[in-house]
Amino acid sequence: MTPSEQNKLIESFHPLENKLLLSFSRSGSLSASDIIAISGLDESRLDMATGWLTAKGLIAVTGETVTTSVTLTETGADYREKGTPEIRIITALREGKQFTVKDIIQTWGMDPSEVSSATGSLKASNVISIVEGGKLRLNPDADAGRYLFVGKVIEDVPADASLAWPDISAEAQAVIQENFHKRGKGKGIFRITEKKNRTYSLTPDGKDVLRLLRERGAVTEEASALTPEMLKQGAWKNVRFRAYNISLSPPRASIGRKHPYREFLDYVKYQFVSMGFEEMRGPLVENEFWDMDALYMPQFHPARNIHDVYFVKEPSRCREIESPFGKQVAAAHKDGGKTGSSGWRYAFDVERAKRLILRSQGTAVSARTMAAGPKVPGKYFSIARCFRYDSVDATHAPDFNQVEGIVLGSDINFTTLLGLLKLFGREVAKAKEFQFRPAYFPFTEPSVELHVKHPDLGWMELGGAGIFRPEVTLPLGVDVPVIAWGLGLDRMAMIAMEIKDIRDLFSRDLDFVRTKKIQLNK
Amino acid sequence: MPTIDIKKKDLDSLIGRKLSVEALEKHLMLAKAELKEYNAGTDGLKVELSDSNRPDLWCAEGVARQIRVALTGKPEEYSFFKPGHKATRVIKVAKDMKAVRPYIAACIAFGIRMNDDVLAQMIQSQDKLAEIFGRQRSTVSIGIYEMDKIAFPIDYRLAGPDELSFTPLGMDEKLTLGQILERHPKGIQYGGIVKPFKKYPVLIDSMNRILSFPPIINSTEIGEVKTNTRNVLVEVTGTDQRMVALTLNILAVNFYDRGAEIDPVLVAYPYATDKGTRVTCPYDAPATIKLSLAKFSQALGEDVTVSDLKKRLTAYGHKVKGSKTGLSITYPPYRDDIMHPMDMVEDYAISRGYDSFEPVMPRESTVGGLSKIEILSDNVRGHMVGAGFQEFVSNILCSREELADGLAAGEDLVEVDNVMSLAYSVLRNRVLPSLLNVEAASSKAFYPHRTFEAGEVAVLDRSANMGTRTDLNLAALIAHPTANFSEMHSTLDVLLYYLGVEYRLEPAESPFFLPGRCGKVIAGAIELGYIGELRPEVLERRQITMPCAAFEIYLNRILAAR
Repeated sequence: MTPSEQNKLIESFHPLENKLLLSFSRSGSLSASDIIAISGLDESRLDMATGWLTAKGLIAVTGETVTTSVTLTETGADYREKGTPEIRIITALREGKQFTVKDIIQTWGMDPSEVSSATGSLKASNVISIVEGGKLRLNPDADAGRYLFVGKVIEDVPADASLAWPDISAEAQAVIQENFHKRGKGKGIFRITEKKNRTYSLTPDGKDVLRLLRERGAVTEEASALTPEMLKQGAWKNVRFRAYNISLSPPRASIGRKHPYREFLDYVKYQFVSMGFEEMRGPLVENEFWDMDALYMPQFHPARNIHDVYFVKEPSRCREIESPFGKQVAAAHKDGGKTGSSGWRYAFDVERAKRLILRSQGTAVSARTMAAGPKVPGKYFSIARCFRYDSVDATHAPDFNQVEGIVLGSDINFTTLLGLLKLFGREVAKAKEFQFRPAYFPFTEPSVELHVKHPDLGWMELGGAGIFRPEVTLPLGVDVPVIAWGLGLDRMAMIAMEIKDIRDLFSRDLDFVRTKKIQLNK
Repeated sequence: MPTIDIKKKDLDSLIGRKLSVEALEKHLMLAKAELKEYNAGTDGLKVELSDSNRPDLWCAEGVARQIRVALTGKPEEYSFFKPGHKATRVIKVAKDMKAVRPYIAACIAFGIRMNDDVLAQMIQSQDKLAEIFGRQRSTVSIGIYEMDKIAFPIDYRLAGPDELSFTPLGMDEKLTLGQILERHPKGIQYGGIVKPFKKYPVLIDSMNRILSFPPIINSTEIGEVKTNTRNVLVEVTGTDQRMVALTLNILAVNFYDRGAEIDPVLVAYPYATDKGTRVTCPYDAPATIKLSLAKFSQALGEDVTVSDLKKRLTAYGHKVKGSKTGLSITYPPYRDDIMHPMDMVEDYAISRGYDSFEPVMPRESTVGGLSKIEILSDNVRGHMVGAGFQEFVSNILCSREELADGLAAGEDLVEVDNVMSLAYSVLRNRVLPSLLNVEAASSKAFYPHRTFEAGEVAVLDRSANMGTRTDLNLAALIAHPTANFSEMHSTLDVLLYYLGVEYRLEPAESPFFLPGRCGKVIAGAIELGYIGELRPEVLERRQITMPCAAFEIYLNRILAAR
């Protein structure tokens, strides 16, 4: 090691390393217990510091002594107080008490396995026998000396301290070895502890570094942190700041953060605003009128039954359908009214239109906006939570967001419909290739599906759109053409979040949400 | 959206040209159809049809017809629709049919070259038409019979449940009509259509042989079509005369396209119908729609010439007459979906191909913007993120159990009537329970937990026309070993300071919060929300083992107070 390397090493020292190394100032070789005495470090810190310095090659282990001592286990301490089960049984029998094994278990509060091993041992060494009725009897010529000796060995071990192994007689050592606690075994009485006391010596590098350290130590004090006091008093001038190991991983931080799915929706939201769209909102609980009738979906339409839409229990109906829209929409369904259409030719049921449901499509918000006197020209969008009567699984969440909207204006026609869709494909999906496919929606004519080549997903359906039928716009008081569009963005959100289950967009797992990244603007 | 199975060679033969799968995929756009699957081994195509108003397309013949006319540029002449064709065979309708199933239409197809594919298509289109278009046979149902076994005229009349018996398809014993409803699978499935009546519809020939029990089941004797059948009687019954006529027209052109001769049948009604009392079918009152070239061009955004329009619409199956000043379009007898001139605009665009139009950006400029409530919501969300809270987005549809212990006395929820699963049966009326759900699911996430959500809730409101109201609330929650009222209050205090809301807290009672550690947030006379430390029983119920404090603020009210 060159002197400059040695100096660098010193600069990166942890205070514990400093302290440990300085302990070697008087002797180049110290036992761990010596170091503890000199430095005042506790055992765990000593272990850390010796580990670090050994790894840096400044000290080395040069010797090891092992001291063995004996302590009592919990059971041992218990026996020391009450006597071993064997002695308790012998003593009780000597006092003339009469009892069975069952009595011992039930009334002495002893563990059944303890009792059976004690009685078994006593029987085997011929101290007791079991007689009629399961009663225990002390054999007349019983030699209980062995059991009494065990009791004496237990008593010799202090209750809260250890006994050094060499101070114990050979006979007592034998008893201890028979009854010591082994890991994984049941109850033992004694615990035998082996304690290593290592001897550490400075290596040649260590000697150099210590010398350098002592030279420095004379002039500077080492500090781990700059304090307000140091700044106020100017004490920082005499202090050396330890260099940190900056390659370590930092502790994990808990930060405030937007939800990644919401971040995606915000991104979409601001894109629409930047394309000149105004946000519109509508209620979660709708009536069939705004959700379907106003969109020229006939009341017999297959998507309107109880297997497609959630109905509200109470109240089941709204009070009234806003005038004059109720009558005008009813006329459009019946015979076209003033829309130039033949209509669906059936008897429109106003009560049915009042039925409250959970909003099934974001287009309901568009219908309400059209009836509320929208701007012309005007562009509107909404991100609307919708509900469909579907079983919840990896592709169906209990509720989901639809991104929908309208564009009103005298220059709205089929080619501007395609132009707008192309804009969406380019801006929202970052697509360069497009395909327009004929489609069917009850409320638009012509209708288009927009397919785009997504950079990650390949060809996918991005959304559906069309020009609202006159049967939709005219009864709501709008006399310019209106584009209706809707985009399916959840799949793009799932790709951006790298998830496969749509329910994860609404995850309740904090750890999952905290760690989910989202890639926008790709 | 029906999905149908077709053999590719059958489709090719109907189109009259062998198309590559790639070309077929493109041509399917003409029928608003999408190829979902092609199995080269079995030659099977799975095709999804998206137009619920074009039942004529829900079969191999219909899809082929739409493609064939585009390739030839010339629609088929279905001569049997021409007026003046004389029907020699008659179906006599009984008077009391009017109340039960008033309409019937029928025709005869001679010389069908039947094989497995033809039979499979026949059964499939019968099924799709009756199930989807005919609303599970209630408005339209179809019967097809071996013509050679029938002696005309046929009676369409009612019979009592025990009056007649015959061997229905799929059984080998004679059953009465009543027994069929009890025991036959189709009787069990569709019996609801006729059960409200004392007597049921039957078709009986002049030899007193029963053809069928519409709309339930045919007889085995006459109503079983096999691969060796050459001549069939096709019959449609129902409750809507237009739909019955359209269904028969579709079936007639389908058989015709397969080379059969179509012979008409006269239906004699003892009561008036929209088409008179003696109706010959297949029935076609040629339907026309008028449109102006200027409006057509305006809707497309391109100037269209009369000749191009004629060419494209003809190649889509229509007959076009007229000049620049006024065009009259007659649409084919198998279609009844045209309600408005705009429908023709789409047919034209599809016929020409959507790709042939140049997309144009709308020129009129508009100013974008967010609603006031969304701006406020974004504002508080930014604040909460800055305050170190993790945002959540939760489902609004949930179980009553998740919300019940937070309801005040007399407060109730918007509940679903047709519940599919109790787990998704009510709408949340607060956001806080959603954050408690997060806590319940996140005991392993490292602490402290600081979460929030600005989201919609549905509240019952008897004063509103809709009986309910949608609000936007902000809820925030903290969970860690020393989470308490004071920490939550600090967050709320600084949030309301920046929102410019002067508020005070008033002691309040809440099933969610510990008594004495709960407050209402009041500004002037308006209650803006609530704050408190969660009751241990509320946490225990959700197996949350960390102290929690929370607040919820009604953003709509902050906006209204501004």
